[in-house]
Amino acid sequence: MLLEYTSLITLIALTAILAFSFYAVLIAGQLSLAQLGLASLAAFTSSLVVPAEPLFGFIPPLAVGIVFGMSVGVIAAFILGLPVIRLRGVFLAIATLAFGEMVRIFLINQTWTNGAQGMGFPKLVGIEIAWIALVVVAYWFWRLSGSRMGRAFAAIREDELAATTMGIDVARYRMASFVIAGAVAGLYGVLLAYFSRFADPNEFSFTAAVDGLVTAVVGGVTLFVGPILGSVFLSVLPELQRVLGVNAGWIRPTISGVLLLVVILFLPGGLSGLIPRRKSAKRLITDPAVRPDLPPLASPGTELVSLQGLGKSYGGVHAVRSVDLTVNAGEILGLIGPNGAGKTTLVNMVTGLTPPSTGTGVVLGTSLTSGTKAHRLAQAGIARTFQQIKLFNRLSALENVMVGGYRITRDTMLRRLLFLPSARRFEREAVAMASAQLIRVGLGDKAATAAGDLSYGDQRRLEIARALASHPSLLVLDEPAAGMNHVEAGLLSELIRSLATDGIAVLVIEHNVRMMLATCDRIMVLNFGEVIAAGKPADIARDPNVLEAYLGSSGSDADADAASELAAADLAAVTAESPREHPDVPDGTPARGEAAGPGDQANPSTATEPEDNR
Amino acid sequence: MQLFLDGIFLGSIYALFAIGFTLVFGILDRLNLAHAAVFTAGALVGIEIVTRFGVPIWLLIPIVLIVGAVLGILIERIAFRPLAGRHDAHFAGLISSIAFGAILLSLLQALYGADTRRFPPGAFPRARLEILGATVSLLQVIILVISVTLMVVLTWLVAKSKLGRGMRTIAENPHAAAVLGLNVGRISSTTFALSSALGAVAGVLFTLNVNAASLGIGHAVELKALAVIVVGGMGSLPGALVGGLILGLAEVLAVNYIGSSWRDMVAFGLLFLILILRPQGLFGARKTREV
Amino acid sequence: MSDPILSVEGLQVNYGRVEAVRNVSFDVAAGALVTLVGANGAGKTSVLNAVSGLIRSRQGVIRFKGQDITKWPAHRLVKAGLVQVPEGREVLGTLTVAENLSLGGWHRGSTLTKNVARVYDRFPVLHERRALQAGALSGGEQQMLAIARALIAEPEILLLDEPSMGLAPKIVDEVFAVIEEIRLTGTTVVLVEQNARRALAAADFGYVLETGEITHSGPAHELLVDEKVIEAYLGLD
Repeated sequence: MLLEYTSLITLIALTAILAFSFYAVLIAGQLSLAQLGLASLAAFTSSLVVPAEPLFGFIPPLAVGIVFGMSVGVIAAFILGLPVIRLRGVFLAIATLAFGEMVRIFLINQTWTNGAQGMGFPKLVGIEIAWIALVVVAYWFWRLSGSRMGRAFAAIREDELAATTMGIDVARYRMASFVIAGAVAGLYGVLLAYFSRFADPNEFSFTAAVDGLVTAVVGGVTLFVGPILGSVFLSVLPELQRVLGVNAGWIRPTISGVLLLVVILFLPGGLSGLIPRRKSAKRLITDPAVRPDLPPLASPGTELVSLQGLGKSYGGVHAVRSVDLTVNAGEILGLIGPNGAGKTTLVNMVTGLTPPSTGTGVVLGTSLTSGTKAHRLAQAGIARTFQQIKLFNRLSALENVMVGGYRITRDTMLRRLLFLPSARRFEREAVAMASAQLIRVGLGDKAATAAGDLSYGDQRRLEIARALASHPSLLVLDEPAAGMNHVEAGLLSELIRSLATDGIAVLVIEHNVRMMLATCDRIMVLNFGEVIAAGKPADIARDPNVLEAYLGSSGSDADADAASELAAADLAAVTAESPREHPDVPDGTPARGEAAGPGDQANPSTATEPEDNR
Repeated sequence: MQLFLDGIFLGSIYALFAIGFTLVFGILDRLNLAHAAVFTAGALVGIEIVTRFGVPIWLLIPIVLIVGAVLGILIERIAFRPLAGRHDAHFAGLISSIAFGAILLSLLQALYGADTRRFPPGAFPRARLEILGATVSLLQVIILVISVTLMVVLTWLVAKSKLGRGMRTIAENPHAAAVLGLNVGRISSTTFALSSALGAVAGVLFTLNVNAASLGIGHAVELKALAVIVVGGMGSLPGALVGGLILGLAEVLAVNYIGSSWRDMVAFGLLFLILILRPQGLFGARKTREV
Repeated sequence: MSDPILSVEGLQVNYGRVEAVRNVSFDVAAGALVTLVGANGAGKTSVLNAVSGLIRSRQGVIRFKGQDITKWPAHRLVKAGLVQVPEGREVLGTLTVAENLSLGGWHRGSTLTKNVARVYDRFPVLHERRALQAGALSGGEQQMLAIARALIAEPEILLLDEPSMGLAPKIVDEVFAVIEEIRLTGTTVVLVEQNARRALAAADFGYVLETGEITHSGPAHELLVDEKVIEAYLGLD
């Protein structure tokens, strides 16, 4: 009897490893179903390489198999990833599924795999090896979750666009998660084959992929133990039923199906969502000695942004027409104007999210061209907030700000694996810097609150803290005062002034004209894509052109609106070349109505109120 | 010509199944992975009805349509509606429809066992016809007629009826639809009902074609149907139709010239290529809304 | 006032744990033009959407013509004569103007032809462009389309969410002229606007919303000259 439980327990470990390979892509918000195909490739090709006797007399055959299998997994994942990585959501799932099937058909038709009859493998894997492997994999993911890389994955999952503007190279991280999943899948394939002593390509099928996915989802992707919990739950369940005498072939899958349905409907975070998170992990560090010294900002007056004749057109519609603009370190430049005037489009060009159609621009030493990448500009020292709040809703306030600090923190993953003290030191530095920003905007007491649970005003301030966390030279604020009452707006005004005093250049778009007059050093007024007035606040307030723009003009508004729509669509298209599908993972990305979509970025006064439940 | 006709017959069944799939995706932005189980249910229930009551085809089809519609309404209520408005609605919908499908399949197993079942001999006409030098069975012609009729009816429904207008409105902008006073919940249910009705009938027709049905048939077709709707364009009805026919033809030709074991590679190779080169498929439009 | 056509009591709307609307109460007299003004994020759209049945309120009672409609879904309300012209207009861009209009008559099939003819009469521009895709219209034309579409539903009470948004001031004049006409036909109008000056100039009664709560209320012309309201919201305009 012990023997049959040994088998079960080993399979639990192996299933958990497979679930980890899904976990690896799910944490980055990707639904990839390629893992079984990769596992299959690894298993079968390893049979060609694994020797019958220890290599060089001392390297165990299994070790050769594992190393080889994981390498195959990595390489195959990389090759698969190159064309596929830019797909999202359902399309990615289907493409990877197709890959899995193609592998299956290919292997079935090979003579060296013995086709559908399958091959025999020597028994090299027992319960100990399986569990050791599982512990190693789990360890790796455990160390991932507190590292900068882990935070980057979570950020990408929650809001890819916002992550880009913090300097995170989304494409590179997505590929990384793909490749990691490939390695783990390869490990699984090899271990499974050498444990079961037999494998045929049909085992690594769509059904098996679905099982693996289900295991990961049931376990939950918010905590690293999720795959283990999922595997235990789903493996023990049929056994439990058998022990309880439930024998009819159809009852077990029915119960499993029902339980799966129940979990997905009522426990969106999976089983690991039931585990209460340790709040102590999110404590602030306020000791200034822990904070590292940061490089000084440019001296006040240094020109950081210079735009000449910058314009953006969509077809025949001119969203922005020939804007000349400069911003210097330590000054506050305000952009005001009616809706559809082109302010957000302009700012999107400055932050690298949209390439200009005409004119030239230099931002922090980088020219704005069609090849400009937003994350590179972010790494040069530009940070921004969005008109429609784009926080990482399920991360805590502190975690949000820590992601913001991506640019100035170090990746500690390798050090964490070895538990080096320097890892802890760097992590503490990151926490300290983030804490300082949180306290600065007045959210110190809410560090552990999930960003999605904060009040609207607090969310706005959190976004600013997150932007400040990267120690930017240029801060771009898109309607930061929306939804604030006078008291809050006043505090915001003071905060902005203090930032400028510290040497940061601030570019602010706002509708609260009164606040802008009080806060900015210079103001530019846009209307229908053009600058109609620029100068000191006092002059702007008296400028007849400005008054006319707000109170009455005879221009047709066709261009302005069309331009706003197109600008918003362009923004949505920036992060994808394929049909825009947002990968929704439990506890994952924003809901449909909340992600940046047409209309959001375009109309500043629209839905900066929370979106309705549709 | 023989190959061509065989391909058309097979393709029309794929198309019928795929149309149901793509209908739900196009209108409600949901991928219903319980569709395959509905296909299987249609087949097995169809066999049962004929075996027990000996009904002719023209009566069998409407009955199966109703069975499918009921299943569709259940799927919408149980697997999708409770998730509306959730962050992860799409992903969770995949999982919940998988779960529903699994439950449905195991219930089918309870009712009908896991073995292959067939229609009782003599239940359907065995006549064969000669068309343009090729031999086809009367049954195949009937299958084609039914498929085409159903697809035509559906297309008309979507294009011309009030319900169809409602469906298209929701597809374009669900919020505007609600503002206009459309009963989004009821239209969604109806969409699922239609989709599953077609899926169930596709199952029956498939089984009529090969006279064998087992628990796994839905799964086998499902993957191909995914290929069909991606190639044709997700959400596009004509795309599903054309894609289905292309796939049917391609498979028949592949089996004939390359060998049956590589047959499925056609579907997936095509699928993969389209996803890389033209993800919106042949007829699909690039969606601007977030899924 | 004698029985208000719409009354809202103690409304609370939450998004997750965020309280967007807190204890909002107001009445709308039949045939009046009432406006809710306030800055972005004040909760105006949330109030309107709760009244229109598009979202569920956490707490509160909403009454329409004496009936408790708090739990009624949007489709039932439209049929009963409570129609919203949503923020951002939400016209169906790929459908023609004519198709958009006929969608407005979803619950008024029998009078559709008559209503469409009437609308074309009042908005000749829409008649001209009736075969064009709605997405090709200018912002002002789309706003007219959205209003016309709502009129086809034969509303007893019309809720407008930020109709002036994104429109040049001259076009806004036209929109407000249309609103006034609608009001003169006896239809009650609830207007939500960021452009407080315009809205208060047009309305009978006004409510000021600030971070989810009503902070000022009164006859519109009084609010228009109230120091505190001016300071808070009228700004440069």
